[in-house]
Amino acid sequence: MAYEFRLLKTGFHNAFFNMGLDEAILESVAEERVPPTLRFYGWEPHAISIGYFQGIHEEVNLEACREKKVDVVRRITGGGAVFHAAEVTYSIVIPESHPLSRPSILDSYRLLCSGIIEGLSRLGIEAEFAPINDIIAGGRKISGNAQTRKKNCILQHGTILLSVDVDTMFSLLKVPQEKARGKLIQEVKARVTSIENLLGKSIGFDETARALEQGFSSALDLSLSEAEPTEAETIAAARISAEKFSSPAWTFKR
Amino acid sequence: MKISVIGKPEGCKLLRIFLEVTEPLNRESIIMSLNIHGDFFAIPEEQFEEVEQELAGTRLGHLGENFDMAVADHRIQIEGISGRCVMEILRSVVHGI
Repeated sequence: MAYEFRLLKTGFHNAFFNMGLDEAILESVAEERVPPTLRFYGWEPHAISIGYFQGIHEEVNLEACREKKVDVVRRITGGGAVFHAAEVTYSIVIPESHPLSRPSILDSYRLLCSGIIEGLSRLGIEAEFAPINDIIAGGRKISGNAQTRKKNCILQHGTILLSVDVDTMFSLLKVPQEKARGKLIQEVKARVTSIENLLGKSIGFDETARALEQGFSSALDLSLSEAEPTEAETIAAARISAEKFSSPAWTFKR
Repeated sequence: MKISVIGKPEGCKLLRIFLEVTEPLNRESIIMSLNIHGDFFAIPEEQFEEVEQELAGTRLGHLGENFDMAVADHRIQIEGISGRCVMEILRSVVHGI
């Protein structure tokens, strides 16, 4: 029998609200007020998110972000810095007691990423899991994922690139060795790909999200019921956004 | 003295290690403070921050094994970082550890 999941399509929000809503969903799943949840969303304005353990001054060109009106947010998950622009972002929240939960981080990534791999296959893209937390297609990264566990729940979120603008990305992110910048940009261009690159045509946010929805449903045997975030979740997301993700104390903690 | 060193040994994520240690700098130097930045995973994250604090007082030469023990004691799951990763990076600036 398929696992009952809630499906949220929450549209485009700023970085702080997006991260606040993921945390609010985690809280409401943990308190069993809502079923396990799969969410698709986008970022407006574009944003940089950095991993929990990253130093913001080491990773982000804050002045360039200010100039280009790009938000900067620290995630509650580990992993690397991400430029959120032309992409579909997902989050999935599962209690650790759920049959789809796995004790090890790596096993969880492998299982949950199978939904993305199946979704990409529905768009005609053959992709595979690349440990620790990536998905590659044609030998190049198309999806990065990050996971945490809190309140006896797993939260995994990640991105699927619709198209990629490496030059803009590197104007916003810092490169460890400035002298290697040109070479590094070429290397990253060779390592990163997108749906547009692979298919030779643009696929929109909605179509990609639909394929991913089907992919998760099929790979993880989910029965998805589309819903809106509860009023309590929306209020909590706004509060967490204001008190945590927008606060300099959180953003600059490392 | 303060040390900052960056590295990405085989099987590790890119790590930036910030240390304050007693002089002279060798395997007997005592760590006054430790911060590790990077794109690694450590769950629960808050417990990892406690480990960083607890490792103050450790001799530099014992950092790798003490890191692994502290992570195990706190029941932290880690990916992309380990005592070996940390020591391999430190060896680029501290000889004989």
